[in-house]
Amino acid sequence: MSTARARIDSMRPSRPGPTRTAPPAMPDQFWTQGRYRGYVAFGACGFFLLTVGGLLLRAVWVLGNGDPAAWQALLESWANPIYVVFHAVSLLALVWFGLRFFRVFPKTQPPKIGPFPRPPDAFFAVALNGAFLAATALGVALLWGVLA
Amino acid sequence: MLKLEPVIWGLFGAGMMVGVLLFPAWLLVGTLAVPLGIAPAEALSHERALALAGSLPGRVLLAAAIALPLWAGAHHLRHLAIDFGGIARDALVGSLCYAVALAGTVLAVVAVVRL
Repeated sequence: MSTARARIDSMRPSRPGPTRTAPPAMPDQFWTQGRYRGYVAFGACGFFLLTVGGLLLRAVWVLGNGDPAAWQALLESWANPIYVVFHAVSLLALVWFGLRFFRVFPKTQPPKIGPFPRPPDAFFAVALNGAFLAATALGVALLWGVLA
Repeated sequence: MLKLEPVIWGLFGAGMMVGVLLFPAWLLVGTLAVPLGIAPAEALSHERALALAGSLPGRVLLAAAIALPLWAGAHHLRHLAIDFGGIARDALVGSLCYAVALAGTVLAVVAVVRL
């Protein structure tokens, strides 16, 4: 085994400037392979965040018009099968998106959060899934009219 | 756009959390159960919806529930576009995505002020 010191400048480019030979690119058909499927589906859920947010904006706008008939017409329009399918798919997609987000979340946290060490993954799992269940139950009860 | 990246990341993270916590209940009751007659129509009558949405907590919650997920969605779609189409058009696609989110944010604030 050689004891010669490594030449740390041996890979230095001959001229100053960018050394990257090609821009980074995903392999062909990457989205059909292994974990990429879930990764791409997770990113594609951005479409549902955008559209559901946009439709909620429309609902609040109509509500702010102060016309009960227009509000009623909006709610009735959502009984259209196209809207029903879209909203059902959005619901399923966003629940899946949320559960995946909660699973990924601990891995994105630094070893120290402020002055405290990062809690164990089980803490994040309980806290995030618990918050999801509590917020959803509270929201359903409020919108359903169970809560005043 | 690099200078704005930390701000956009903050909005993106908050948008994912807010969207995940608030949208399922809204989708389940507001867009499915009430229109399909599974939940009582009075639950989201104009009067009750206005009372819920027009309160101060209601306005703040609604503004956040509209604006923040728009940023999360825009950021996700921008990165999906990078994965599929490369970085070359990122300036255009990114600007377009965030312009939609910004316009939605302004409209969301106006919408809750109008309530």
